[in-house]
Order: sequence, then C-alpha cells, then structure tokens
Amino acid sequence: MSEARELPQRIVVAGDGPLGVLAAIALRKALPRTEVIVIAIPPDPAAFAERIGTALPFTNRLHDRLGIEEAALVRQAGASHRLVMRYFGGGGPGQAGAAGYGASIDPAMKTAFAREWGGGPRNAETGAPPRSLGEVLAAAGRFAPPSGEAEAPLAELDYALRWNVPAYRDLLIQIAQRLGVQHERAVITGVVPDGAGGIAALAMDSGAQIAADLYVDCSGSGAVLLDQLPEHRWLDGRGTFHARGLAIAALAGPMLALEDRATWTPLGWRWELAGRDGLQALLAVPGGASDEAIAAALGSEPAAIVPFAPGRLDAAWLGNVVGLGSSVAELEPLGGIAQDLAHRQLALLLELLPGRTVDPAERAEFNRRSALMADRAADWIAAHYAAPAPTARFPSLNLSPDLSRTLDQFIRRGRVPFAEETPMLVQEFGTLLQAIGVPQGEGPMAAAGEGSGEAAARAFEERARAALNAAPPYAEWMQRAVA
Amino acid sequence: MSERPAPTRVVVLGGGTAGWMSAAGLAKLLGPLVTVTLVESEDIGIVGVGEATLPHIRGFVERLGIDEAEFMRATHATYKLGIDFRDFGRIGDSYVHPFGTFGEEAAGVPFHHYWLELQRRGMAEDLGHYSLAVSAALASKFRPPTADGSLTSTYGYAYQFDATLFGPFLREHATKNRGVERIEGKVVEVRQDPESGDVTTLVLESGREIAGDLFVDCSGFRSLLLGSTLGERWEDWSPWLPCDRAAALPCAHISEDFAPVTSAIAMPAGWRWRIPLQHRMGNGYVFSSQFISEDEACAVISDAVDGELLAEPRVLRFRAGRRSKSWNRNVIAVGLSSGFLEPLESTSLYLSQMAITYLIELFPVGGQIDARDRDEFNRLVDMEYDRVRDFLILHFHATERDDSEFWNHVRTMQVPDTLAEKMTLWRETGRIEKYSDGLFYDASWIAVYLGQGVWPQRHDPRTRLPAPEQIARALARLREAMIEEVAAMPGHREFLTANVQRLAAAP
Repeated sequence: MSEARELPQRIVVAGDGPLGVLAAIALRKALPRTEVIVIAIPPDPAAFAERIGTALPFTNRLHDRLGIEEAALVRQAGASHRLVMRYFGGGGPGQAGAAGYGASIDPAMKTAFAREWGGGPRNAETGAPPRSLGEVLAAAGRFAPPSGEAEAPLAELDYALRWNVPAYRDLLIQIAQRLGVQHERAVITGVVPDGAGGIAALAMDSGAQIAADLYVDCSGSGAVLLDQLPEHRWLDGRGTFHARGLAIAALAGPMLALEDRATWTPLGWRWELAGRDGLQALLAVPGGASDEAIAAALGSEPAAIVPFAPGRLDAAWLGNVVGLGSSVAELEPLGGIAQDLAHRQLALLLELLPGRTVDPAERAEFNRRSALMADRAADWIAAHYAAPAPTARFPSLNLSPDLSRTLDQFIRRGRVPFAEETPMLVQEFGTLLQAIGVPQGEGPMAAAGEGSGEAAARAFEERARAALNAAPPYAEWMQRAVA
Repeated sequence: MSERPAPTRVVVLGGGTAGWMSAAGLAKLLGPLVTVTLVESEDIGIVGVGEATLPHIRGFVERLGIDEAEFMRATHATYKLGIDFRDFGRIGDSYVHPFGTFGEEAAGVPFHHYWLELQRRGMAEDLGHYSLAVSAALASKFRPPTADGSLTSTYGYAYQFDATLFGPFLREHATKNRGVERIEGKVVEVRQDPESGDVTTLVLESGREIAGDLFVDCSGFRSLLLGSTLGERWEDWSPWLPCDRAAALPCAHISEDFAPVTSAIAMPAGWRWRIPLQHRMGNGYVFSSQFISEDEACAVISDAVDGELLAEPRVLRFRAGRRSKSWNRNVIAVGLSSGFLEPLESTSLYLSQMAITYLIELFPVGGQIDARDRDEFNRLVDMEYDRVRDFLILHFHATERDDSEFWNHVRTMQVPDTLAEKMTLWRETGRIEKYSDGLFYDASWIAVYLGQGVWPQRHDPRTRLPAPEQIARALARLREAMIEEVAAMPGHREFLTANVQRLAAAP
C-alpha cells in the first residue's frame, strides 16, 4: 500500500535574486506547511537566467499558476509585451524576418496533417510564409492581451513579457513576504556534507547553522552549493558557442514596442531589448574581441562586459541539492531563453517535488529531463549561429546531433522534427529558422499542393483584419492599463 | 513553389490492411507526386489483424475524406472506449485501460496521487470510477466526446471492426477515388539493380513486370522485399514477448447489446481477445507454443467463447520483434513485414498508420532517396515500436500469477532496462517517466500499473495537505458528475442506430 511521503520541513533557497524569490514563492505555495528560507547571495552579473528581464511565453503560464498577475507586472514592474523578435542580416545583408510565438503561427495549416494522423502535433512541416497574427499586430503597433474567450479575435495570440528586473524582484519579494517566506541575510561560509552526496547544513558567518531537507541553488554562475559537492561535474559548451562574454550597453531611452530586434554583427547577434524604462542593447562577444570591435558592433561603448563560459552541469540535482538557472546552465540569454530554461526547471521541480527525503529514481528523472531542457535551449541558441551569415563567420562550431538533424530536415524538406523537452514548438522553431535566413526546403505535402494554400491565406487575412479591429494602439492600451 | 518533378512510381506489394492503407494514404496525400500501383493475389490470404483500433484511426479515415457512418457500416464497426483487461495481475482482477484520463490534477499534483492517498485510507472507489471512459464502457453507453474542455471532453474513442472488410473497403475507395491501380498476381521474382541493390521490378507469375521507383512492402510476415530480398536483420523480442501463435475464431453474439470495449482475458499460456463487432464477436487465443500446443489452444478457445461458433479456429503464427530498419534502400516495410507486436493493446493498425504518416512526411519527392530521410524514418519508427514494446511487456511482467509456466516465465524474466527504469520510478514515487512522442502517456501507464497491482511505495507528499475528507468530497463530486453524464448517454447500440445509420444490414 502506498504511503504519502513526509512533507519537507524546511527548504533553503540559496540566492535572493528574482529566480530565488520566484522559486521560494513556488515552493511555499506548493508546501504551505514547509518553512522556506531564502538566503541572500551577492548578485551575480552572469546570472543571465534572472538578470536579463525577459523570458518566453512559458513564463506567463508559470506566473499565472503562482498567482503573479500580468496586470501587476505591467503596473508595478514595467512589463511590456513582445509579440515577435525581428531578425536582421542572418541570411546576409538586407535579409530580415520575424519570429513569433504560439501554435497558430502556421497559417498554411499544414500541421493539421500530422495532428490528425497520429504523428501528433509534433512532427510537422512548418508552412511558409511565416505569417502570424503577432507579426501583423506588431507591424501595426496594436495589441491587447487576449481576453481568455476561445473564439475572440485575439485568442490565438501568444507573447513574451519583458520587465524591469529590480522592480520585478521587488514585486516578487512582496508576494514572498505575504506567503511567509523567510529571508536570511547572513553569509554562507561553508557546507556540512550529509555523507550521501548532499548537504546536512549550511554554516553561516553568524556562527549559526541552517539545516534543511532540500536545498535549491539559485545563486547564479558561482553555484555556491552545488560547487561544494563531490559529484559536481561541468560539461564544457565552448566548442558549441563562440561567446565568452556578454557586452551590455548603457540603457537608452524608453521604448514601448511590440517587437525586439536582433541584428547580425561581425561579433554575434546584437539584441535590442525594448523596455518602458529604457532600451537595452546586448551582444554576446567572442573571446579576444577588441574594445573597438565590440563598441562598433554594440553601437555604443559597453557599460559592462560580463564574462561567461557556456556549458551545463552534468546533473542539476545532486544529493538533496537541486540547481536552477545559471547555477546549472550558462547560455547566451538571447530572446529570453536563459530565463525560460530556469523557469522550466522550476516547473519540473514542482512536478517532481520530493518529500523529506529525496528518492534517487526521482532525482534521476529530474536530471534526465533537466538536461534535455538545457540541451534543447542550447540548440535554440546554436540555431541562431547556424544561419548563413554566422556560419560564414564562425564555421567551426559543433552542432548537436539533434540540431544537425533539424537543420538538415528544414533546409531540405521544410520540416522541423519534434524534440522532447524543447522550449519551442515546432512551428516556433520553424519560423525562427525562416526569420534568421536559413533557407527552407519544401516538403512533399507542400509540393503536392496539400493544405489548399489560397483558402488558408484568405482565412488568415480575415483573422488578421478582425485582430486589428479588436486591438487598440499599444500605447493607448498601456496608458489605460497603468492608469 | 518549385517545379513539380515527374511522379514517383510507388509499388505497394500486398493487398492486406497495411497495403490498402498505404496505397490510399499515399495516393490521397501525395496526389500528383506519385502513381500508386498495388500488387495483390487473391490466392494469398490476409491476416486481417487489428480488429480493435486506437483513436488515431479516426484521423486516418477522416483525412482520406471518408464518411464515418459509411465506413462503420462497411466494416461492421462498433465504438470502442478502451480495453477491459481480466485476470492479468491476479486471477479475478479486472480493469479498463481507457482512451481517457482519470480525474483531474489539483495544485499541480496528478489525480492518481490523491486517489492513492484515499485508497490507503479505504475511502476511494475503484480508480476506473473516476474515468468517464471507463464508467461509460462498463455501462455499455456511448456518445462522442465534446471538445469544450469539460468532463465530456476527457475521453476519446476508436472502433472495433472487421479487419477483413477494412482492406476491401479501402481498395474500393483507393481504386475508384484515388486512381490507385490494382494488379492481380503472385510475385515470382524480385529484380534488383546490380549496382545499387535497389529493387527495380516485380515479376508476376503471368510474366508481367511491374517496375517502380519505390516499393512499399506490405507482404505480411513473409516480408518478401525487406526480409527475403534485402535480408534486413530481424530483432527478436520473443524472450520478452513469448506469445507466437493466435487461434482466431468468430462466434455469434449472445446478446442484443455490444460493449463499447474490447476484452483481453489472461489465459494459462497467453491471453484471449473478445471484440464485439456488429455481426459477430471476434475471439482469439494469443499463446506461446512453448507452453501449449496448437491443438490444445484451439480446444481451449473453442470452449471459452460464449456464442455459437461461426467457423473453425484459424491458427496464425508470428514472432515478436521488428526489422532493424524498416526502410532499406528503396523498400519501406509497413505492417507485419516491418515488425510484429501482439494485439494486446490494439496497436497493429496504429503501427501501419504511423509508418505511412512518417513515409509521407519524409517522402523522396522525385524518387531520389536521401539517406538522411531514411535514417530519420527508421529513427521514428524504431522509437514508436520500442515504446509500444515496453508497454506490452509490462502487461505480462506486472503479475502475481504463478499458476502456470507461462506466467512464471514472464513474471520472473528480466525486462529491458528502459522498462525497468520506468517501473522503478513508479514503484518508488508513483511518478510516470515523461515523454511526448510515441504512444501511451501517463493515464495508460497508471491504468496498467494500478490495474495489475503494481503499487507505488510512496506517493506525492502534497496529498497530505488537504484533509482526507476534503479529498474524498472532491472525488465524490467527480464521481457523481460522471454517473450523471453516463446516465445521460445513449446505449452503445442505440447510438449506432440513431441519426446517421451506422449499422450494416443483417447478413
């Protein structure tokens, strides 16, 4: 007969940045009788999984589930909506394209084939051209969040949010405090091993020890807890990524926009993250790039260049210590992917939440899936560098077998194979590849004229018109929202 | 759109279910890209596997543009909500593996953890009572599900039909509406290109030669092109799945009603199926010849069926396993020529449909095969087969039965690591290893584990948070809602006759 596992009595989260506080909120909500303590760790500028204020649509769902309202993010944390990422130059000078979000960004409806036939909605050709309601609305500068009604004109829209990191953290702290999460300001001076590959207690500079059933490492790239464990093993990703640092420009003037832009430069993708309190330019730079080259590519003198080493931990959960975000995977944050990965890992921890003692099979399952998540997120970044212009500039980067297969299938057949634990729907991945100028092949269904392109295009036009009518100018909507 | 190349000449060998599914599917979906010729011989019988299906078949029929009622009438089809397993975990035990879910998750914790908690306290009803598909199946009721996210959208359905009628029905459709050419004749020679080894021509007894660019091998167990001609290696799974024979025989219905559910009843040397069609009951004993002789098995099944016998038992021989590669050179095997898994979970037609789907996605437009597409096809097909294999092995391995040599063998055998890991995770934590590709997700695994007495030792700690009475009230409400829904559903036969005529004329 099955017994309910004992509830953890205390969980310690190392790191009080946005990710640590969010994890604490999630754990406390899931386990209201469990003491949750967040330990302050000096902010790590390389913790891209929380220092860059944007994520992907998955985070919106996570926020909803944790009671973090989008309206509050808009009012209190400077949040704004990104419907598409617009890319420039990936296919060479003059090439541009936009990539959006959601399952409905395949207007030719070619995916209906796989959906109905039992391959599931997973293996699918992605139809060209990459038209989506998000792209139409972004171009028109009109938007309002979908009401939640199934048949409404904006129902199929999906989007990512951007926010002001300190304000977001403050908002999370308010929520955490309301939930009774505790904050510990003493400094960790060492860990007391538990003899089973994990931690028995943390030694603090106050002289006290803090013992817990579970430790969550949200301390950033230093991985202050995981780094202390004997099984800790780093998988170097430097063969896959040329980037060794993130150049960050000083904040430019505020910009309310429904799209962000990424432009190919001789050093990498320069990403301009629009924000209500300022436009942030970011550029992942290769090692050895000169200051002049960086300034030229970034468009201004960098305010900071944060070094980082791409890669991930072999296992994100060791003993009773589970790591999230930059403590277990370092990757270029382009488009919000680093934060998205951290939030998926957090959701996975909630799914596989342990009892007072950690079960090895459950830990292995977490590590299996967390590693897949990290590898697929890395593939998504690596795909950006597999566009024609980047490939010419950095010809010798390794591609994972999964990404090689995806690129090959896309280029020859216009098809994106499904991958487990991927951050992207096949449609989203397909439009990304289109947008960065990877040439798209034609699948047999397209060649056979299956899917009645004209009718689908007409239907799409109608939906686009209805969406434009339903959505006010974004600035107008924003004014009302913050009033 | 690029210029369209000359149509690829596709030759389908074999006019069984897989053959006509392949021909109809390729001709419909690839239209101008292909010419499809199907070679079959009236002298060669078909196995006609797959009387029971999975919900995926609906998409296939729909996509071909075939009307559901017409299809059901033609194949004497009934609706199916799942499979009723009896005597697997222990003699006397039974459970339904539904096309549907059990309850709803709450606070991020899957339903079955709450159920386990109540069960421990003796406060839960049978797990199946919290599944609308199971509840309807047990009450012999049927209505198509809704798509509105409510309770009535928590299940799916498939069909139980006469597989020997499905092939001819598709033949009619494919030759009349899709321009598939049917050629009658027995293949006596397969010609290959001396350099590439590709199959170039099938030579018939009459001397007629059928040339093609791509050959779809639907020749059944003989696997004439992939197995015999190209010598593709066979991966033997019989150590895990020792059943290698089936004695099939139809009988008459003993009641007016037919259950919207297939039965699988464990037997001393295997298991038997019971599939209610419109005009008859399909029966068969799937057994292992290591543990019982064919004659004995035939006698056992003849005794076991409850209606008037309509024929003598017919014995089929097979072996569990699959070809290492289902696509080799220019030959793609679909159906039994590619692999065989006993029909315990009604996967036969699904596996054909799946291969056809991937073949269309990866079709060599213009006839030039790229090795990368072939590899991709084989990767996907292998993944599908392997996942089904593990799930089937679970049905035999998860047992307390020690009443026969057969059950002693499967109970104590070593299972594949991929299955052993899944079972460990379940036993220790009540959790299901997650994947999104392939067949059989959480609800299926939970149904079989709990239905066959594989209990986790522990379940989610969060089930301690609500008071047990609170969980009990929520489950009781759910159960009441289900009873109400089931009460409002028409009977299975009633639904088949109402509105659109789905019943065939009496024979």
